[in-house]
Amino acid sequence: MKMAGAIIENMSTKKLLIVGVILLLFQVFSFMVGGLIAPSPTTAVPYIATKCVDVVHHNQRKNKWFTPWGPNQCNKIRDFEEATAKRIEANNIVFAVHIPGPNKEMSAWFQFMLVILQFDIAFKMYNQIDDGAVVTIDVGLAYRDDSVSEWTEMAHSIEQRKLSCNFTTEKTIENEGRYYECDLLPFMEVGNVAHKYYLLNIRLPVNERKQVNIGIGEIKDIRLVGIHQNGGFTKVWFAMKTFLTPSILIIMIWYWRRITLMTRPPVLLEKMIFALGLSMTFINIPVEWFSVGFNWTWMLLFGDIRQGIFYAMLLSFWIIFCGEHLMDQTERNRFSVYWKQIGPIVFGSFCLFIFDMCERGVQLKNPFFSIWASEVGTELAMAFIIVAGICACLYFLFLCFMVYQVFRNISGKRSSLPAMTRARRLHYEGLIFRFKFLMLVTLACAAMTVIFFIISQVNEGHWHWGDYTVQVNSAFFTGIYGMWNLYVFALLFLYAPSHKQYGDGQSNGDQGANSGEDIQLTTTITHVDGPTEIYKMTGKESQE
Amino acid sequence: MAGAVSPLLKRPPLAPALTVPEGQPVCVSLAVGHQYSSLGTQPILCGSIPGLVPKQLRFCRNYVEIMPSVAEGVKIGIQECQHQFRGRRWNCTTINDNLAIFGPVLDKATRESAFVHAIASAGVAFAVTRSCAEGSATICGCDTRHKVPPGEGWKWGGCSEDVEFGSMVSREFADARENRPDARSAMNRHNNEAGRVSITDHMYLKCKCHGLSGSCEVKTCWWSQPDFRVIGDYMKDKYDSASEMVVEKHRESRGWVETLRPKYTFFKPPTDRDLVYYENSPNFCEPNPETGSFGTRDRVCNLTSHGIDGCDLLCCGRGHNTRTEKRKEKCHCIFHWCCYVSCQECVRVYDVHTCK
Repeated sequence: MKMAGAIIENMSTKKLLIVGVILLLFQVFSFMVGGLIAPSPTTAVPYIATKCVDVVHHNQRKNKWFTPWGPNQCNKIRDFEEATAKRIEANNIVFAVHIPGPNKEMSAWFQFMLVILQFDIAFKMYNQIDDGAVVTIDVGLAYRDDSVSEWTEMAHSIEQRKLSCNFTTEKTIENEGRYYECDLLPFMEVGNVAHKYYLLNIRLPVNERKQVNIGIGEIKDIRLVGIHQNGGFTKVWFAMKTFLTPSILIIMIWYWRRITLMTRPPVLLEKMIFALGLSMTFINIPVEWFSVGFNWTWMLLFGDIRQGIFYAMLLSFWIIFCGEHLMDQTERNRFSVYWKQIGPIVFGSFCLFIFDMCERGVQLKNPFFSIWASEVGTELAMAFIIVAGICACLYFLFLCFMVYQVFRNISGKRSSLPAMTRARRLHYEGLIFRFKFLMLVTLACAAMTVIFFIISQVNEGHWHWGDYTVQVNSAFFTGIYGMWNLYVFALLFLYAPSHKQYGDGQSNGDQGANSGEDIQLTTTITHVDGPTEIYKMTGKESQE
Repeated sequence: MAGAVSPLLKRPPLAPALTVPEGQPVCVSLAVGHQYSSLGTQPILCGSIPGLVPKQLRFCRNYVEIMPSVAEGVKIGIQECQHQFRGRRWNCTTINDNLAIFGPVLDKATRESAFVHAIASAGVAFAVTRSCAEGSATICGCDTRHKVPPGEGWKWGGCSEDVEFGSMVSREFADARENRPDARSAMNRHNNEAGRVSITDHMYLKCKCHGLSGSCEVKTCWWSQPDFRVIGDYMKDKYDSASEMVVEKHRESRGWVETLRPKYTFFKPPTDRDLVYYENSPNFCEPNPETGSFGTRDRVCNLTSHGIDGCDLLCCGRGHNTRTEKRKEKCHCIFHWCCYVSCQECVRVYDVHTCK
């Protein structure tokens, strides 16, 4: 019902083209910002833990930290043969990792830091890894902001990780000393990087009576990989958000003003578009700027929630958009009509929310927590993800069915087109064309997202193009983010009620005959899917 | 590491210095000791390693903190060589009490020299990359060649991979002395490069997804070094399929230049990844101080094997002696991950076969 009076229908093809070209330019720009200015989005830094010896076993472990290098470095051993020779016990060996490496420091611009754990375990004929072996890790995390002061403890925990290693060659004496291939284990996740230096101290305590760390094979080394967002990428990203927020905000205000200028109350689709704009703004607002100054660890979780809300809103919008264009004789225009289609979205998002709270929520308290580490947690997490997956499938089935229905109805309308008057036919054709156009744009956006996603997954991250290095991954993030912003922008702009409708809709008769015809057409077609208007429509058709 | 190996393995004093096991001098103590405290002694240290050409000396002074890793690299290269050639007539023997650790074997341009140079060169690249991850070297990855100040570069876009740095160190240091225009230099350069390429070829990509709810929306990948045994296996294959070359002399503006050309045109010419040599190996059956062969006398052989480690082949047809030996062995062991094994002691009887 609202569609007819929208700007998209009353705008000439030329103007529509101009708008399209401008949007396209912005789109190219957003890709270029990521590809040419920003560095790659994240950096992975590999670390190998230094084996320190805790000479006197410290019971008051709290104040005792082992630094792998630099001033006050710990007593080291090169390998465990040395430890055996010196009769050092497992409980006295501390694996120390200093993040970052020498001559570097961390920065708040890194936004987050996650650490992955990998064991180097050598195959030994008589000391193999047991099936389902579990490593118990006693780990502490500390920080300091200059290279001389004492370390301050941030977190301490005793964690368990399931070893999943396989030995690809034959298990013979000949192959002793080769390494198992072990899966990467999630180790730590910190939601902000407020300090300059971090220190990890890891112990693998052995307790034969309790079967702790027995049957875990011959561990040679502990490798960690620290991943953080690149400072340059963060800056470009923030700049983009700071630029996009007012853009979407202004068009939203303009849009809402137009709706309030109308005599009728806003319809569901109009409200939905506005809500979409709101959720986009919610993502856009660059609250992350605060993370540079404040020690807010919940930013990662908050970002997930914002993103989730936007996705849920976008998916709901598509359903309602299709529903309101069905052009059958059903009264919709109410949210409750769509419960069947919206239900899976809400339920799926809720599942993912719970999952995220279980993972990243708990990580606020204990950065070493991982839902995947425990048997029950893994099952629970899988359950949430599977349910969310089912919801997604259900949703897409509904959506595809609705799109199919819309196209069927459109072709139904098409067959009756030749019987109509010329002006009426042209108008119908225009309407259908523009509806299909929007469907195409949506599909194109979705396809672009998928294609770029695949490219960024397959590609090694950057392309060399003459002297320029194009960061494909960054281009993907900024480009796709820009694209959905432009999509929302275009929706707000093109689907805002048009002047022509509410100006002429009052039927003040100083317009020419042509426009009079136009008004009649707009009103009829406007109300194509409303029951009260159907009478008018059928009446009109019978007149013809 | 030919370049480095040459001084290490031929020039007397450096050999023990960089080969570590029992020859303890400078670099060894450096490797175990405190890297930072040695910074002050930098000129003394590099100057005290004899056999370095000026370019290597300069390199040593510039990168003194990674010299322990260079030494470590040569060590793991030799260990791997000994593992790969265990039970063969030439078993990568090193002589601890002699200053030239391999003896004269490497003087000739044989397959064995080719292998040793390649594996040592690979070992250096490997060990330097590893030391970067350990934090014992401060100059890795974030090389100062870029225009931006180093700290800023790291904060803006991270650092480049350490692997390139490892290869760079190996190249700078090892190839420094292989700049003569003769055939041997050309061969060493080629084999050194083959060793380094094997490292970069065997790097593998590991990735982690960490997007929304842990989805693969954001994926970060990094290169990992394989176990050095993998490199050893690969180099051994390359040893078996090494290309024989012939020396060609050209007259160039700087004088006579020797280059290498494949001997057999009907074989595929060697690539960057292949080992090359141009002199035949001695058979290593009899001791020969000139070729550096130790002979296989008194070597333990495997009676049941028909391979090269079998008594027939290893003893070069001279036959073998057999004696029985009682050995006390550890058995029924319970292993803990580190440093502690509780075992019982068993006595077992073995037949030991040694070559005549």
